[in-house]
Amino acid sequence: MDGISFDIKNRPDFATLEVMLQPGQKILVEPSAMACMSPSIQMKSGVAGGALRSIGRMLAGESFIVNTFSAQDQPGELVLVSGHLGDILHHRLDGIGLRLQRGAFLANGPGVEVSSSWQGAKGFFSGEGLVLLKAQGQGDLFFNSYGAILEIDVKGDYYVDTSYVVAFEETLQYRISTLPGLRGGGFKRLFFSGEGLVCQFTGHGKLWVQTRSATPYLSQIHSYRPVQRNNN
Amino acid sequence: MKHEVLCRPAASIVRFWMETGEQITCEAGSMIAMSQGLTVETTTRTRGGGGVFSGLRRMLAGESFFLNHFTAQQSGQSLLLGPALLGDVLHHPLIAGGLIVQAGSWLASTRDVQLDTSWQGFAKGLLSGESLFWIKCTGIGDLYLSSYGAIYSVDVDGEYVVDTGHIVAFDETLQFELSKASSTWLQSFLGGEGIVCRFRGKGTVYCQSHQFSSLGYMLGPMLRPRRG
Repeated sequence: MDGISFDIKNRPDFATLEVMLQPGQKILVEPSAMACMSPSIQMKSGVAGGALRSIGRMLAGESFIVNTFSAQDQPGELVLVSGHLGDILHHRLDGIGLRLQRGAFLANGPGVEVSSSWQGAKGFFSGEGLVLLKAQGQGDLFFNSYGAILEIDVKGDYYVDTSYVVAFEETLQYRISTLPGLRGGGFKRLFFSGEGLVCQFTGHGKLWVQTRSATPYLSQIHSYRPVQRNNN
Repeated sequence: MKHEVLCRPAASIVRFWMETGEQITCEAGSMIAMSQGLTVETTTRTRGGGGVFSGLRRMLAGESFFLNHFTAQQSGQSLLLGPALLGDVLHHPLIAGGLIVQAGSWLASTRDVQLDTSWQGFAKGLLSGESLFWIKCTGIGDLYLSSYGAIYSVDVDGEYVVDTGHIVAFDETLQFELSKASSTWLQSFLGGEGIVCRFRGKGTVYCQSHQFSSLGYMLGPMLRPRRG
């Protein structure tokens, strides 16, 4: 099957995805990601892959609904962006499935199936949710991040701060761990290192990390919130 | 040790390629990712004395001074470091003379750079409402600075005025004094400039294009109040 022709502009800070659809081609997109499009493009909202799969996606931090954009009789253009500043990356799936962090999904072409994958206690301890998104099949996948995305070829062991993982190939195994040197130092050392828990990846495969996380931004803004006083 | 600054300017990070025994010291919490052959050690720098609890207090006040030392146990190790907020990363080779760095802008340095967190060049209890403290970096090595927004450098020859919240770092060779931005205090505060730093002499000042507190004061009132 032919891939979708596309261009990602304004990387890495204000990435926008321009998609050119030929008559009959379609792309599945997360809700509210469409910025503009040609009149020849039609949108249909629905639950991709049935209700069960949609519930799984919802548990993985995505929307229940997925929008399908398709070109009817004429080719057309579609511009997609994520809800926050950051980067967008394209990955062509070819048999090897991908795991995506919560909120990282932007769009996928035909032949790709996006569902969820239960992570159990690993997800709980990483603080990133119990469920990851799973993308499988053959076709185009687009994902986004807060900050820029870097691709890393993992051979052997590799450590990533849990809040910076965007996606990884399913050929990589991971477990929640602490950094070498901080082990056995007790809670105090772990706490003050500021590194807390990390994902330890093993095996061979591709891994994508983001260069910023929204969490520190939130915690800094938090100190500027007005303070509510109880007057009773 | 090789380094490269990537994804400039808003989502900048620095990547190090390290050989056996090489070491990078960085701010706690700034590691994004690393390869397997590195070990980490955490130390604390006390500012005006105090143990773990005053360290904890400083951390909650946004003045954490816990340092992580990453040491390569094998060759060909990589380490990715990045600041917390959107902004740039700058490499400053330290050759002769010290650099005074705003603590929030110090990202990392190599082993032979000494960090003095007790530097009190600015009078204690800066009145500008920003809890800034400063690190005096001396020695020979590499320094990595971060900013909120872009970093630009100003070559001072004579006199130059910078808002205290926009200072990233400056050469030790410069004299400086805190003063009001206008001729009277009333004018300075009405104009929203408060206290500025007046640099004199010859040397470089690194400034940041934005300050986070401005964004904080703008967004804060729009957020739901927190319980006091």
